[in-house]
Amino acid sequence: MAQAVGLLIVLPWIFALAVFLSPSHRFRQFVTFLSLPVLTYLAFKVWNADLPFFVETPHWVETAITVFDYLLLGYFLYQGIKFRNFLVSILAVAQIFLLTWVLMILPPTDTPPIYVDKLTAFMYLLVAVVGTIICIYATKYMEQENLDRENRFVAILIWFLGVMNFIASVNNIEWFFALFETTTLASYILIRFRWDEISIKNALRALWMNQVGGIAILVGLLFAIKHYHVYNFTDILNMNAAAISMIPLGFLSISALVKGAQMPFHKWLLGAMVAPTPVSAILHSATMVKVAPYLILRISPVIKGTLLAKLLITTTGFVFVAAGLLALTQDNFKKILAYSTISLLGLMMLTASIGSPVAILASILLILFHGIVKALLFLEAGIMEKVFHVKYIEEMRRLIEKAPLTVFFIALGFMSMTIVPYGIFIAKWITLEESSNFLTHGAYIASIIFITIGGVILTLLYFKVIGVLSRKSGEFTKFKLEKLPFLYLFTTGIYVIFTIVGSLFIARVSTDFINPVVKAITGEFANIKADGLTLVTPTSQIYDWQIIGAIILLMIVPVFAYFVHFKADRVYEYTCGENVNLSIGTYNFFCVSRIEPFVETIAIAFFILTLILGGGLV
Amino acid sequence: MSKELALILTILSPVIGGFIYGFERIVRARMQNRQGPPLLQPFYDFLKLMDKRSIIIHSFHAFMGIMYLIGTWFSLYVLISGGDILIAIFFHVLSLAFLVVGGFSVRSPYSVVGAMRELIHMLAYEPIFVLAAVGLYLVNGTFQVSELLKAETMPILYLPLIFIAFLLTLPAVLKKSPFDIAEAHQEIIGGPEIEYSGKFYEAVYTAKWIEYVYAFFFVFLFAGKNYLLGVLLAILAFFIVNLIDNATARVNFRQMVAFHWYILIPLAVINLMLLALWRA
Repeated sequence: MAQAVGLLIVLPWIFALAVFLSPSHRFRQFVTFLSLPVLTYLAFKVWNADLPFFVETPHWVETAITVFDYLLLGYFLYQGIKFRNFLVSILAVAQIFLLTWVLMILPPTDTPPIYVDKLTAFMYLLVAVVGTIICIYATKYMEQENLDRENRFVAILIWFLGVMNFIASVNNIEWFFALFETTTLASYILIRFRWDEISIKNALRALWMNQVGGIAILVGLLFAIKHYHVYNFTDILNMNAAAISMIPLGFLSISALVKGAQMPFHKWLLGAMVAPTPVSAILHSATMVKVAPYLILRISPVIKGTLLAKLLITTTGFVFVAAGLLALTQDNFKKILAYSTISLLGLMMLTASIGSPVAILASILLILFHGIVKALLFLEAGIMEKVFHVKYIEEMRRLIEKAPLTVFFIALGFMSMTIVPYGIFIAKWITLEESSNFLTHGAYIASIIFITIGGVILTLLYFKVIGVLSRKSGEFTKFKLEKLPFLYLFTTGIYVIFTIVGSLFIARVSTDFINPVVKAITGEFANIKADGLTLVTPTSQIYDWQIIGAIILLMIVPVFAYFVHFKADRVYEYTCGENVNLSIGTYNFFCVSRIEPFVETIAIAFFILTLILGGGLV
Repeated sequence: MSKELALILTILSPVIGGFIYGFERIVRARMQNRQGPPLLQPFYDFLKLMDKRSIIIHSFHAFMGIMYLIGTWFSLYVLISGGDILIAIFFHVLSLAFLVVGGFSVRSPYSVVGAMRELIHMLAYEPIFVLAAVGLYLVNGTFQVSELLKAETMPILYLPLIFIAFLLTLPAVLKKSPFDIAEAHQEIIGGPEIEYSGKFYEAVYTAKWIEYVYAFFFVFLFAGKNYLLGVLLAILAFFIVNLIDNATARVNFRQMVAFHWYILIPLAVINLMLLALWRA
């Protein structure tokens, strides 16, 4: 089985190299296509293997990673000097210093550095399915953008998948740091891909913000060595949770918050939208930001119930609401998606911090469905940009007449993030019911309020967009699907099928697919059952007829809407008898943007509280 | 409640809602020292509207009106068939989505503004509904409506503040003054309803009646097993909603959201905290 894990990590690098060197566009597409079945097969093989297991690595890997670390940080420093960015350089220097310190006091350990359990296998599957499809899409996207640089672009995307597979399997936190910074490097290269002024500016911002996360890991590592004398995830998890110091875990959580673009470190993810759209898709769905909930899930058994967990709940819950609110003020489609990612990442980490089996289940459901849906929406954003030349939601008016399929997919994507019976809703619902069990503590009451208010704000946001999408002036005279390139249809179609089928069989998905992961993390299964399509939770159930009914209601609308023609007289809209030229926009919620500085201040306060009080630095 | 009874109640809900509406018009008239229309007036209106010539903007918009009726009906069945109370709340959002999308789909300024305000209504009242559901869970240990209806303890005794918050949010759910901003006849002439007429307005109109049943059934849940008390509470809620409707003027949407978020939510949360602490 160790070979399969090794292949999962190494193959993407080889594929990337092949794509990079290949002179032919067709061959590059072929290699990218190949990565989907190969990685999926390997991931399934690991998933079905006898988990968990350790993998020993030869000694030279250790050395290689150390050398790689220094090269990486040296490169960061070089970039900082080259672009005269003080923050980037100083943070790189600080990391080099801290890393040297860590390496000097690193005690010897017998624990193997690679640890593969169900959570790792779950991440492999997510990367293999969601990630590679984005790469396939990217080959077509770059064909329309700039074919000369396609090899470079797609190669980095595929390589990123390998890095992501690696980061999900490491056990040694020092290695974790190396890969954490490698994802930073990957995002840096991808964001500055267009090489214009704004791309470089945003890329440097992403670089320094993520380096803060790297520093947090290194400091956490130093404290772990000081307090625990161990630095592997499995060793930390095996310790007596009640007795250990929270300082290292506090720092690790901070690095997760930074990676997960939680406020006030959210700007780097927003800046990522200047890059070609597949970059946003891959950063938001399968890779990069998913490191954040992954890290919290890893340490959640130890921090469960501590002050740190409660502060994390409050911080991420606050971000869930605040990011949703700020998203209301945006009119750029990709920015809206980015804010909603920040918001939902907050929810994922909130549920992961609660730490009970049912909450962990909700968290993993969120990671899965958010990955799929966000990938779908970003791919659609790219299609709108390239095929219909639409970037702002105001420009999406009457798109329904030109592009019914695209509009249907976008609407489905938005609805699946908020409405019954889709996966993300189910996760929200389970979380609400689960937190109702712990109301004696204020943090959990806060979590309920945050989840409900954040949920409605996101609903408001999505329907604001759907509203603009659905606006049209007259009857559909003839129904004609827009012509889209095959690869666009293929990639988005897969996600749509995943979303609908996954939501329909949500009960089976939860019990058969997610619950083993929950068992691997918390040591016990979440108390849920599947009865046909009915999902039975400890306190309640969602019936099969409710799920099917809701899906039918939602599916009828787009299908019938085009074909139902009522026999009735047509009139124009009522305008008090005035002959006015109607041009209708949508609400811009300008009143909300005034609170942005306050929101950031509060977010900083929560960060400090999490670190100082939660981490026990008092 | 048995499945058959729930089904019958759901099918009859437009009739029940129609009677409530007719009665409400009388009550409101008497509060204003008027005679008011006969009890069956909503049904007369219903028959008259059936006869009207149908004029529509486009079929999608008209179709959404019908979907709103079906969606509301379905969400009512989800509530009274004894399923999960939170699911029922979110199904209500689903049905509202049809009205909102319908409202957005035409180029009428009134309709678009109304649809947006409809969403802001949801922003205001939905957290209260969820907190009420959580409160009911704390008292009886279940989210299932069928279990709540069998509960020995009366939730109203443990959730007085939540009940008050719920009563004060009912005007926002039923689009009554002071929180009738989504319809606001004097300024946006009915909001999302404006472009419906004839049979299609019928659908939206009937859906409103079903929403009456939906909202007052929620009040009924606060009495647990004691159905008599439940009916009394529902009647009390009915009178209070009408009294407030008659006695107040419309506020703007910011005031509405502020009232719900800064007054009603803290009220509900205080109740939850006290209850949780007392239980612990």
